[in-house]
Amino acid sequence: MAAKTVLVVDDSRVARMMTRHLIEQNRPGWIIVEAETGEQAVERFQEVLPDFTLMDVNMPGIDGLEASRRIRAIERAAVITLLTANIQDPIRHHAEEIGIGFINKPLRVEALLAFLVEEAP
Amino acid sequence: MTFLIGDLERDAITELLNIAIGQAAAGLSQLVEDEVRLSVPFVDFLTPDQAARRLDIETKGGDAVAVRQHFNGPFAGDILLLFPERRSLDLVRHMLGDEVPLSQLTELEQEALQEVGNIILNGCLGSLANQLNMRVESSLPTYLRGPGARILAGGSVAGGRDATPDSQGLAMFLHVDFALLNKDIDGYLAFIMDIASAERFVDAVRAYLDGRI
Repeated sequence: MAAKTVLVVDDSRVARMMTRHLIEQNRPGWIIVEAETGEQAVERFQEVLPDFTLMDVNMPGIDGLEASRRIRAIERAAVITLLTANIQDPIRHHAEEIGIGFINKPLRVEALLAFLVEEAP
Repeated sequence: MTFLIGDLERDAITELLNIAIGQAAAGLSQLVEDEVRLSVPFVDFLTPDQAARRLDIETKGGDAVAVRQHFNGPFAGDILLLFPERRSLDLVRHMLGDEVPLSQLTELEQEALQEVGNIILNGCLGSLANQLNMRVESSLPTYLRGPGARILAGGSVAGGRDATPDSQGLAMFLHVDFALLNKDIDGYLAFIMDIASAERFVDAVRAYLDGRI
């Protein structure tokens, strides 16, 4: 499988470390780029044009939903999923409206691998 | 003003909380690869002194570490996750496993506990909101350390109402004890609402019951 680039967005360093570790274990050689805020996620997305983006919701500044909307405005085909502890139904509905995925924390390897094979819409 | 809830409402709150903490516990169980034992949830109305004593009992008189989030919606308050300080590093070690060298564990302890709190508290709050068909906003998790009573007095974070019981009255505590079965780590989770919020919460629970029984 050709190496891909994954953007991991989370204000928690520990959360990013755990997600990175799981990706490195299961997709060795893939490039992992991190962002700590929604604003930084949009910037990093424009810089590296990742194949996949895992996006936290509750962050300082713009939240993950707004960051996803901005990324989609840049690249309609961006493959994004929320990765969040916020399991409320309205969050899932907003994700559906934007056309992005929803994965609840803690991240399970099955959910990660299912996401990392998704095709761009 | 005396604010009381009936047996039916109390039973419904217990069950709603049971489901909510159950979902949150599943997340914790996965994080630390251990079974999480839960107590029956309690609903109590406590004065500031009683609440402080309760938290001191939870921390066995010692210092504790806690993660606290403020929530806002049809009802507002604080949700608190608390561990005895002596076990918090063990929890982080179990959570991060071999991924992090021991020398880095202490440095990461606070951030790791905030992430545990984020998963547990949002899982619990989200499930409760879903069951009541409501949207509840929550703040980012705040890390606190000290005696139980001081953590309680830590107050809510900026931007929300203070759910800490004031000197005038009671606060409603919805709380659960939990333990990691094989790791000798126990903890405590509490929703804290002032009486005005508690009344709105109980109204929501009554509406929930009206549609189901």
